[in-house]
Amino acid sequence: MISDNAKKQIDDWIAKYPQGRQSSAVMEALKIVQAENANQLSHDSIQAVADYLNMPGIAAAEVATFYENYNHQPVGKHIIRFCHNISCMLNGSDDLIAHLETKLGVKTGEVTKDGLISVKKVECLGACVGAPMFQIGDQYYENLTTDKIDDIVDGLK
Amino acid sequence: MNEVCFKNLDKDQCWSLETYEASGGYSTWRKIIKGEYTPDEIINELKISGLRGRGGAGFPTGLKWSFMPRNAQGQKYIVCNSDEGEPGTCKDRDILRFNPHAVIEGMAIGSYVMDATVGYNYIRGEFMEPIKRFEGALKEAYAAGLLGKNINGSEVSFDLYSHLGAGAYICGEETALLESIEGKKGQPRFKPPFPANVGLFGKPTTINNTESFASVPDIMQNGGQWFADLGVENSGGTKLFSVSGHINNPANYEVSMGMPFSELLTLAGGMRNGAKLKAVIPGGSSTPVLTAEAAMAMTMDYDGIDKAGSMLGAGSVIIMDDSTCMVEVLTRLAHFYYDESCGQCTPCREGTGWLYRVLKRIMDGKGKADDIDLLLGVQEKIMGNTICALGDAAAMPVESFLRNFREEFEYFIEHKKSMVKG
Amino acid sequence: MADIKIEIDGQIVNAKAGETLIAVTDREGISVPRFCYHKKLSTSASCRMCLVDIEGVPKPQTSCSTPVSDGMKIYTQNEKAKASQKAVMEFLLINHPLDCPICDQGGECELQDVAVEYGSDVSRFSEGKRVVAASDIGPLIQTDMTRCIHCTRCVRFGSEIAGMMEMGGTGRGEDLKIEPFLTQGITSELSGNMIDVCPVGALTSKPFRYELRSWQMASVDSIARHDLTGSNIYAQTYKGQVKRVVSGDNEAVNETWISDRDRFSYEGLSHKNRLLAPQIKVAGQWKEVEWDVALDFAVKGLNKHVLNNRKAHQLGGLASNTATTEEFYLMQKLLRELGCENLDYRLNVNNLEQAIVLASNIKLEALESVDYAMVIGSNLRLEQPMINHRLRKAQLAGAEICALNVKEFDYNLKISHTTVAPQEIATLLAGVLKSVLEKKAVELPEYLEHISSSELSIELAEKLLNAENSVIVLGEHIVNNAQAASIAQLVTDIAEQVTGSTLNVSMTSNSLGAQYAHFVPTSAGMNANEMLQADMRAFLLLDVYPEYDFHHASSAIEALSKEDVFVVSLNSFNNDLTAEYADVILPMAAMYETSGSHVNINNDIQSFKAVVQAPEEAKPAWKILKVLADLLELPGFHYENSSQISSELAHQPHEHSHDSAIDLTSKDDTVETIWMHSAYHTDVLLRHTAALGASQIGQTHLASMNVATAEALALKSGDVYLGVPIDITDTVADQCVFVSSNQATIGGL
Repeated sequence: MISDNAKKQIDDWIAKYPQGRQSSAVMEALKIVQAENANQLSHDSIQAVADYLNMPGIAAAEVATFYENYNHQPVGKHIIRFCHNISCMLNGSDDLIAHLETKLGVKTGEVTKDGLISVKKVECLGACVGAPMFQIGDQYYENLTTDKIDDIVDGLK
Repeated sequence: MNEVCFKNLDKDQCWSLETYEASGGYSTWRKIIKGEYTPDEIINELKISGLRGRGGAGFPTGLKWSFMPRNAQGQKYIVCNSDEGEPGTCKDRDILRFNPHAVIEGMAIGSYVMDATVGYNYIRGEFMEPIKRFEGALKEAYAAGLLGKNINGSEVSFDLYSHLGAGAYICGEETALLESIEGKKGQPRFKPPFPANVGLFGKPTTINNTESFASVPDIMQNGGQWFADLGVENSGGTKLFSVSGHINNPANYEVSMGMPFSELLTLAGGMRNGAKLKAVIPGGSSTPVLTAEAAMAMTMDYDGIDKAGSMLGAGSVIIMDDSTCMVEVLTRLAHFYYDESCGQCTPCREGTGWLYRVLKRIMDGKGKADDIDLLLGVQEKIMGNTICALGDAAAMPVESFLRNFREEFEYFIEHKKSMVKG
Repeated sequence: MADIKIEIDGQIVNAKAGETLIAVTDREGISVPRFCYHKKLSTSASCRMCLVDIEGVPKPQTSCSTPVSDGMKIYTQNEKAKASQKAVMEFLLINHPLDCPICDQGGECELQDVAVEYGSDVSRFSEGKRVVAASDIGPLIQTDMTRCIHCTRCVRFGSEIAGMMEMGGTGRGEDLKIEPFLTQGITSELSGNMIDVCPVGALTSKPFRYELRSWQMASVDSIARHDLTGSNIYAQTYKGQVKRVVSGDNEAVNETWISDRDRFSYEGLSHKNRLLAPQIKVAGQWKEVEWDVALDFAVKGLNKHVLNNRKAHQLGGLASNTATTEEFYLMQKLLRELGCENLDYRLNVNNLEQAIVLASNIKLEALESVDYAMVIGSNLRLEQPMINHRLRKAQLAGAEICALNVKEFDYNLKISHTTVAPQEIATLLAGVLKSVLEKKAVELPEYLEHISSSELSIELAEKLLNAENSVIVLGEHIVNNAQAASIAQLVTDIAEQVTGSTLNVSMTSNSLGAQYAHFVPTSAGMNANEMLQADMRAFLLLDVYPEYDFHHASSAIEALSKEDVFVVSLNSFNNDLTAEYADVILPMAAMYETSGSHVNINNDIQSFKAVVQAPEEAKPAWKILKVLADLLELPGFHYENSSQISSELAHQPHEHSHDSAIDLTSKDDTVETIWMHSAYHTDVLLRHTAALGASQIGQTHLASMNVATAEALALKSGDVYLGVPIDITDTVADQCVFVSSNQATIGGL
């Protein structure tokens, strides 16, 4: 259920916390396992993480459902996390989200037919002076315009 | 401008150890390792500096550090709160990107003061670039023998790790943050006990904001008085203001405390398209909104903003011009708190959703005549009744928007459309 | 904690510095509303219902989390406090269904009670209420999570008391949902307590669902008798039937918790298999008859087969360990008045020469403060749940608990487990005793000289010697160990040497009541196994079901079925086998239907009344025995109620335990089988309880063995052993099979 490579990464996190506090690594362990499983967490993978960290399954499930960055439904290979909070809104994020939806032919929360992209409206990502902005993977894209969005999205493979 | 956290901003590779050390970085920490400082001297310097918590609460940092039972037996922890997520706030992200070593040194100094040999920097999980910078800086510091156990053969030990968030605004609340480091849901703890006595893993813990920690090395290097003199009475030093919204040059500005708001506005390039200023949220989405008039008369320091009827908070200045529909803005903010409530305590779990739904109803043209009173009633019932400050944070905008812009809400309810946007 | 004075609503009260405000108000009888607070659970302070105003503190504070300090002035009823409490109440109700009349909690709902006082009549919330999908968490607990107010008492109960976090809060904000993660539902043996702690109708009793309103029922205090704790319970009845059982409070016994076994067993009372009328067998045909006819038939049969020809020594009395102390006493008195010394309740023992004799000398409450416990041969969590709970508390307080078991069980406490084969236990303990004696520089008895102390036994000896307050717990899995008596004696000797305590949980139900009532043969009589081999002419049976109760089930059935043997059988349930061997069957009252007493591990004699009447013609066994004695013209049976029997019993002298010789020689190389009934099949009432039977614990039917044993027995995965599906696992010791079965032992051993 958890690959050796993932276990190694999880072990590195466990090492940061005091002895017996391995459940501190649960947030990262879930991310690592999610990344290996099409960006999604299943019941079984949550249980596997819990077992690996010697914690109750429900405790891992609490974490997996509390934080925003875990997915429990199918998502695209790339998730466009579009901020729609105040600073971005003041700078036209709603129109840009509408543009993106039209361009991709999906609504926020949906995945493109080819499974490549899903769009998610998110709360403040902490880049308000670069509003409007979105995140794809590790990357922030700021001061977005329709043209800029088109370029970025067209470049996704 | 740019005298403390951002002092190296214009330098090449400003985040590198080399750049940091070239401007005197780690000189205090090296003195500590050599045994040239006592904890009391450091606390004293901090008290003189007038540094107050930059995360939003504004509690004097020197005083906070003095509360820690540093002579108590057993493990103690020091934690940095880099879980920036308050709408309008993006300063810590830049500190981590451009001056990570100042955070490390600030934490190291704190660890020595409070005899906390282990530290964690809780960085919000989306901040991948800042995380990489901070991790890179940690590697440099370890490699340079600045971190670890018995550094340089001394009695001084400090191990520092990052812990990453996974998407929950509430983890910016310090006890929720501790729960999160412990691998749990980010649910704030009730207090007492306070983290200084029962904190991370049940041990005494001090938690400070990124900017607070990043300010400490320069305070120690130049003296508390130097820092105090940068600001005004009761608000020592400089402050990073994230200025966003309808302005020409949105950015993070490190300026002296006490700067008139009008100057900050000019610094940020003035109103975009020459539009008229309508409203300002001076300290992040949780702080009360101000009218243009009140804002223009305000100075940017704790007392100045307080006098204007709001709070300095995290220094997140959101500028709105006269094209802004205040009903729409409040609805968006209400949605934020509704979305981010941890759900643990009743007034916040049930009340934030109620507030959002009533506002959404108004936005949908289905508002009722008594909805304004209802909103005021609900926010009043949340206010002061919750475990943590998120309840108050959700309530305060409602009260201030309705107080300052009531006619827009009345108009929307009556005409089923925005007074501003039509 | 220092004594201080605080002022609550203008009244000066005494308190201890640092205790919570709610502890003070509860003690003083000052009513502060609350939902998440529970005195036995950690503080969560999340419902916010107990907000009060404290002078000098700007915000209202929760009483459950506020430590009191000297001079504190608290207002629980002023405008500020009331406003906060009403605000919280309003928030709680906006998403809570207001259909109390159809809710199972209606009438005993904490939310409803508080709403009457603090709620307002008109809700200003006009949005749709939250609806939460139901989740099936097993046959015992009904969920209706739309009613959940997120107090998290059930979650905290799971992680703090049950020791297995099964419920949790997933999602966040308004979507916070209390639910289990496991798809197979809740598995804790204490799960029903979540029903008791749930303040609303989110978690209710599944077997009780839609039956009745709480106010329609009478609540009678009683004692649960399925184990050695004798938990205090309330049986709630309606029109002569037990409809529900909830826990009672008794700090010295069960605190405020009860096991699922004690909570749900009442369901069996109304099973269709209940015996409802006396029956006699005439010419091989069963006939329902009046009581006087049946009793007359029984007396005549006994006279004919044994009494008339002075053959009382060919009469045997056997009783189930679930009988009341008074029933044991009356039955032994009856038999002994007839001149019969053959009586026994120890039906599940292979070799009664090796019967365990071990005193328990530590009370339940004291178990919490041991610093070291050694559990030998017990799956304590399922076999004696409340005793396990006390040890778990000790462990949480820092005690070290070790288990020497043939199988690694699902412990719910931190335990250092060692798998020990049954053939090795006596030697291991002898090694421990030797090591203890050596460390104390005490001269070794001869039999220990040739024993070598293993590393493990030396370590255990050190731990026992280092402990200030240790206990050795001896469990049911040892009952049929070939060296059981020696093991018990070694436990006694070790405990004495380390000045620790012993706890004998090798029997259950009211076995201690049987001992107290002298329901054991003297040297003049035969024990249960001897009776099976002897030339018997008649038996008197008290709620015995040999295919489940006897270790030697086949021999027992054979002995009872002999043609010239007259069997008078008192039973609470119909049983095909009883019908085959018995000559007269007398319907007796089951638990809840008779008065009497139970002797628990504390040696508390806890009396109870009949909660309901036995159905139709069934009568309390003590009454049947009394009338039988009268009809047999025996003196001294003029009892009008069971408490007269109790007081007579209290004046009888009691035997003390004796020393057994220790024999370590009889080491056996054959595979040993330890046969345990599933925790929900240990007595006849439980075996008729559908909900418990359907639960995960009740479904257990497995013969566990390791690979080597399976090979030795020529078994492979998918096979059955003694009729039980096998499970090959390395958690079992060599040379043994651990069976946990929900079926009869017959066909097996």
